[in-house]
Amino acid sequence: MVNQDKLREIAKEVISREDVRQLIGYRPGTYGFRARPAFVTSPEETDELIFTPACVNNLATYITLEERLPVPRGQEPDTRKVAVMVKGCDSRALVQQMEEKAYERDHIVVLGIPCTGVVDMDKVEARFPNVLEKGEISLEGDKFLLTVDGKKEEVPKEELLADKCKRCRYPTPLVFDQLLDEEVARFADDDYSDVTELEKRSTEEKWAYWEKKFSRCIRCYSCRNVCPMCYCEDCVLDRLQPQWMRRSVDVSENTAFHIARAYHLAGRCIQCGECQRVCPVEIPLMELNRKFYKDVEELYDYEPGTKVEAEPLLATFKVDDREDFIL
Amino acid sequence: MAVKKLSKDKVADALKELSKFRLIAPAKSDEVVVFSEITDPEEVCLDYGNSTVPPKKVVFPQTETLFRFVVGNPELEEKNVEEEGTTVIFGLRPCDARAMAIVDKLFSWDYEDPYYLKRRQLTTVVGMACVEPPSMNCFCTSVGGSPFGKEGLDLLLTDMGDYFAVQALTEKGEKLQETLSSHLEEAPADDEKKVEEMEAASKGKIKRSIDTQGIPEKLPGLWDNELWKKVSASCLGCGICTFLCPTCHCFDIQDEVESGEGRRARMWDSCMFSEYTVHASGHNPRPTRRERTRNRISHKYSYYPKRFEVIACVGCGRCINLCPVNIDILDILSQVVDA
Repeated sequence: MVNQDKLREIAKEVISREDVRQLIGYRPGTYGFRARPAFVTSPEETDELIFTPACVNNLATYITLEERLPVPRGQEPDTRKVAVMVKGCDSRALVQQMEEKAYERDHIVVLGIPCTGVVDMDKVEARFPNVLEKGEISLEGDKFLLTVDGKKEEVPKEELLADKCKRCRYPTPLVFDQLLDEEVARFADDDYSDVTELEKRSTEEKWAYWEKKFSRCIRCYSCRNVCPMCYCEDCVLDRLQPQWMRRSVDVSENTAFHIARAYHLAGRCIQCGECQRVCPVEIPLMELNRKFYKDVEELYDYEPGTKVEAEPLLATFKVDDREDFIL
Repeated sequence: MAVKKLSKDKVADALKELSKFRLIAPAKSDEVVVFSEITDPEEVCLDYGNSTVPPKKVVFPQTETLFRFVVGNPELEEKNVEEEGTTVIFGLRPCDARAMAIVDKLFSWDYEDPYYLKRRQLTTVVGMACVEPPSMNCFCTSVGGSPFGKEGLDLLLTDMGDYFAVQALTEKGEKLQETLSSHLEEAPADDEKKVEEMEAASKGKIKRSIDTQGIPEKLPGLWDNELWKKVSASCLGCGICTFLCPTCHCFDIQDEVESGEGRRARMWDSCMFSEYTVHASGHNPRPTRRERTRNRISHKYSYYPKRFEVIACVGCGRCINLCPVNIDILDILSQVVDA
């Protein structure tokens, strides 16, 4: 696991650079085991930075989420770089964003965190309910160590590990300026068994399954907003004139929304799983995204967010592209 | 009316009795507790903490048709809320009932909202006391509520182990208690005292708090304070905190037209959305999440108390529990206090 002192030392160096205006990392949350994003602009603020298995957020989202107000007349825009801490999965969001030319490589400074896995906070809070006092989580070998109300607790890694980590192919960031620790070798692989299981169902079964999930959707758009690949400046969902997608909430509109979103992520979703993590009504959105991911890998031998210099899948065309699935 | 006793083995019968009305109660959709229209009492799940989406949606639906129209035809087919019939919300938490009482003030203020008020009139609210605080982020006692609070409720149920103590609080509640009379028994004489003790015990288990004294008066002076930039830096601008808030009541009205026919509908809106205050000119007076976050907090803790003498937050903790980036309203408020 990343040494916290080393992390802060490197962060301090980076934020002291004249060409860096902000560093995005993690700091302890407001209660329990939670961690939250930290936005550091001065060397003093680096003292609160951490990286632990509770640092679940994909901070790559903030690179494109930042709101830029028009620069007042007579002032120059701040073109200094943004530094960001990323785990392996998160780094793929940066790669994909750059592959799509969302920004140039020299716009960001990437502090890569070789990652041995993060927790699923729901599992942690189910295991240790009502722990309000701030507690630390660390990973030692195959066990998570937690401080629960001052006492040390050990839990086998697989019991609290986030599902996405159980099939992580890229624990070490694929893009970085500096790695904060030794590289982590691949410790899992993806056999798509969950997707295969869903594929076996009949159309009727699939419809009944998704209808139930989508009927719960409240269209808070947290799935869109947290998604590092949803960075359109002017999202079609926010358009009022013409209104492409109705604001009214019912199973039909909700279904249209989720299918449209899944299609927009085909060949682009990098499997950070943030959409599913944040959904307040527990819609298993990654099942949709992973179906597309599997299809794209099988049909075109392409994995989004793995090579900065690659062409985005949907921006390329080869004469011998597979098309036998087209009706 | 005295406290009655509803034995747990009679709950199903009581719910069956109530299903002659439009019955809304907590039910599981997968593992998510949702207030749903009940057709089979078996679906009801009373062993729950609190629902993810507050029951405000029963009286203030997320999407509701106001009227239907045919383009070119001046005749409107208006929504008749009466048709929804008598409704019973069963088993909601006192904070969510209190939230309805708070929102009532707005919907009956300078304009009397006929849809909301009619629905409120048709609805009987049966609460279930929080013998244990449902969440570690509950803070109802800081904002004038209680885990056994009665405001906004017509009937209060308290889980006494093998039965519920049933206490009618209003005329509507008495009427409903009457409807259920064949399922109710006399409660032990010391129940009222027991309930008081349980309330004190539950209050003692609420761990989070804030002293709200002075916050409403202080907020307007913090308009340009640096704290808003700090607390909103990580905000994603999603609608979780507002849509899941039992007192948030902003709505938008939109026309939906297709093939010459359509409807005018109103639907929940969120001050955290980027297009919330966009003017027709394209100008947005709240251009970033900094202004939007300031508005969310100020509306609850300053504008609303100024107008209606009550804080528009009931301390249910949903916005804290479910914020994807751990933005914590108590953390913000303590920064307001310290500012």
